[in-house]
Amino acid sequence: MTNALRQIAILTAKDLRIEARGRQTIGLVLVLGVLIIAVLGLGLGPEGRVRGVDATAILWVAYLFGGVLSFEKTMALEREDSAIAGLLMAPIDRGVIYFSKLLSNLVLMLGLAAAPGGFALVMGIGIVGFAAVGTLFAAAVSSTRLQGGLLAMLVFPITLPLVIASTQMLVAMFRDGEPLGGVGLAVLVAFDAIFLVVSWLVFERVLEP
Amino acid sequence: MVARAEIKSRPATRVQSVVQALDLTKWIDGRPILRNINLDIPAGRFVVILGANGAGKSTLLKVLATLTRPTSGELRLFGRPASAGAARLRARIGIISHQSMLYRELSARDNLVFFGRLYGIERPRERAKRLLEMVGLADRADDPVKTFSRGMMQRAAIARALVHEPDLLLADEPFAGLDAPAVKALEELLSRLHGKGKTIILTHHDVDHSLRMAEQAVVLRAGQVVVDRWARQLDAATAIREMTAA
Repeated sequence: MTNALRQIAILTAKDLRIEARGRQTIGLVLVLGVLIIAVLGLGLGPEGRVRGVDATAILWVAYLFGGVLSFEKTMALEREDSAIAGLLMAPIDRGVIYFSKLLSNLVLMLGLAAAPGGFALVMGIGIVGFAAVGTLFAAAVSSTRLQGGLLAMLVFPITLPLVIASTQMLVAMFRDGEPLGGVGLAVLVAFDAIFLVVSWLVFERVLEP
Repeated sequence: MVARAEIKSRPATRVQSVVQALDLTKWIDGRPILRNINLDIPAGRFVVILGANGAGKSTLLKVLATLTRPTSGELRLFGRPASAGAARLRARIGIISHQSMLYRELSARDNLVFFGRLYGIERPRERAKRLLEMVGLADRADDPVKTFSRGMMQRAAIARALVHEPDLLLADEPFAGLDAPAVKALEELLSRLHGKGKTIILTHHDVDHSLRMAEQAVVLRAGQVVVDRWARQLDAATAIREMTAA
């Protein structure tokens, strides 16, 4: 366990180091996120006031598109010059590679998640589930030529229950003043748990060159 | 299928086998890529695998590297079944190909330190320094790999493959795209590694060059071993005929 955590730390540090050198992914994700938030924000709140309900929808749109970009970029650097083969030859569990990629994606995406209290909690759990699915499918499609479009087509429908559940929770919280918890939160947590475990189990097959 | 005469002339195994393939087959997308491969490669042997394009050379190396599983048959590495404890076996294998398997944005030193840490070796920085000196890249150690020439990239890739001091080195077309001086440098490096007792299995499209370097030659045709004998007993014309025979 300690060894696996050490290996995850080494792999994630490598991803972030490469990102720090090029700043390609974070730059693209930020520009895209800010653009989406600005354009939709202007459309929904012409007087400069966007309601909490609308903010949830806007943030999810930004996360969905920014996330897909992040998933693709973090896997693309592994396919470049077949670096992934060097990684696969190392005596490490494939699940370790999956969790390190997930962590890298979360670090890149959670920069946008600076928000207070219950909002941050719901969005945070939602983003973990979204990244769990996205990291798995990014690895699966990274060796195909259809990457961008295909990844979005696969990830968006699968994460739809997550988006709906979190949006409904936040709507209830902001509009109706309901407390956080109940079925909605259970759905989010269950979604995360299922996809984290499934992804960890199937990642070896996905990565087979 | 290897002819009986070929089997008799196969180099005899006197020391522990590093690679033992027993009736290995590999199907990809409904097509047989490898068919009933039988190999026995002892420790310290320099083997070249020859074959026309699509004969299955690269797939065979991937199977031997445990990067992909055979569809049927048994693979034993260092005397153990490859299906059990593959991670531990992989720690004794190094691989190079015509692609560097390095992170282009990182320097050669950072790449080596990263892989050294993954393999859990002690003092990865010192190891990286020694390897970079060995492959003649000490003066470019901190430059990003993406700024390297093809020959330098290949030397860095060899350093990566050796970071954990593997017993078995698999090299898939390592000379591809190299100029003459780089070919010579790589040949000397492989020769030195062989001299140190490493087992080397190489695929190479230059038959003459391969037969000069290696001790054992294996010819693949349509996924089958058709020749397996001492390289000195095989001339280039025969090898090419065997590679392409209908």
